Amino acid sequence: MKEKYIQILGITLILIYAIFVVFLYAAEPRSLEEISSKAIETVQNAATKSQVITGTYEIDQAKFNAGLAAFRQNNFIVARDSFAKADVERRDAKTQYYIAYSFYRQGWGRLTNDDALFKQALESLERVNFIDKNFRSDDADLQLRTPAELKNELEEGLRVTADDFNPLKVLRERK
Amino acid sequence: MNDEIIIEADDLEIVETRQSPAIEIAAKRGKSDPENLNALYLRYLVLPTIFLTVTLLGGLRIAGDDGAFVFFRPALVCLIFAAILLVLFARSGVLMLDGWFSESFTPLKNGANGLTIATLFAAATQIFNSLLPEQGLTFWIVAFCFFWTLWNNLFADFDPRKLFRSLGGLFGLAFVAKYLILANLTAPAGRSWFEALTENPGQEAITRLLDLPRYSGATGYIQFFAVGLFLLGLYFFPSTTKDK
Repeated sequence: MKEKYIQILGITLILIYAIFVVFLYAAEPRSLEEISSKAIETVQNAATKSQVITGTYEIDQAKFNAGLAAFRQNNFIVARDSFAKADVERRDAKTQYYIAYSFYRQGWGRLTNDDALFKQALESLERVNFIDKNFRSDDADLQLRTPAELKNELEEGLRVTADDFNPLKVLRERK
Repeated sequence: MNDEIIIEADDLEIVETRQSPAIEIAAKRGKSDPENLNALYLRYLVLPTIFLTVTLLGGLRIAGDDGAFVFFRPALVCLIFAAILLVLFARSGVLMLDGWFSESFTPLKNGANGLTIATLFAAATQIFNSLLPEQGLTFWIVAFCFFWTLWNNLFADFDPRKLFRSLGGLFGLAFVAKYLILANLTAPAGRSWFEALTENPGQEAITRLLDLPRYSGATGYIQFFAVGLFLLGLYFFPSTTKDK
């Protein structure tokens, strides 16, 4: 075999083996069985990242629909899980808006709101603004169609004012 | 008329001519005698495989309680030690830089040589990762000892044989300190507080005081193999890749 073929073979071998070693230290599988599942996960992540780089990234529509169905049934934890799986890279404004909205609806209470969930909603809303500043939802079921409206509602909910002690507050409706 | 020139065999003389240097070099390059071929296999296939295997195993630990793999990434100090070690190799003649990189080499050969050296660096980093305790006071003590030895070696006159003896001694001592002495002082994992205090309070106290990780005994065997493999790779490592 000629010298240059051995060198090419050597370079190929080193690169493949080095990638495998780097993968093991990055993925940290805990057993031999875990190596294959971690490898599949890594390949899927790499594929998604390459879709993002090439501008061909799309959400998983089936998982989004499942999330939307759970959202309509007020099953917000399942809805968020499905939305997160549908938009792994968190780059779709619509999905991220539903995640923020699910935090709002789950955290909303007739007497008191859940501040922790409202704060998570605000964090999700920041992502929506980052992705698309002019986002507007086309879902008729949502009364708050824009991030600005939802943000205002959340901030109002987090703020303690004299209005919070108004007994008529129990009559208000969730948006 | 037919004018034929007849030359008799006795009049002919054999004249030896020398090929041009370029043709000689080309012939030498083309030849694939077993010795040359083996040297190429060693340099570009066997040594990188050995060093990458050491890189893989050097950070591998086996958890003491459930036997799970723990891939321990090297600390920054390991990279510094590996860099000093490569400088030592260059100073002692184990690794002659102009024998591995040259303008007269093809880009492919320079690239392949560079990658082989990179695998040597990665393996050296992981060997230090393997031999240094993971954390706590013992990490800093052993790291200081390593640094002291390597720093002194930098200014000493070395030949490859002396360097290998010194490295063998250094690695051997560090291995004994970590995988025999400290490992025996470490209390086994998976025991409750009460069990630990009643069965072996001294071991438990030392483990907690020195912040010793509780790894399975298999870790020592793996690291013994890794250190041995690294020294074997160094033994076969050619100082130059230039044709003799």
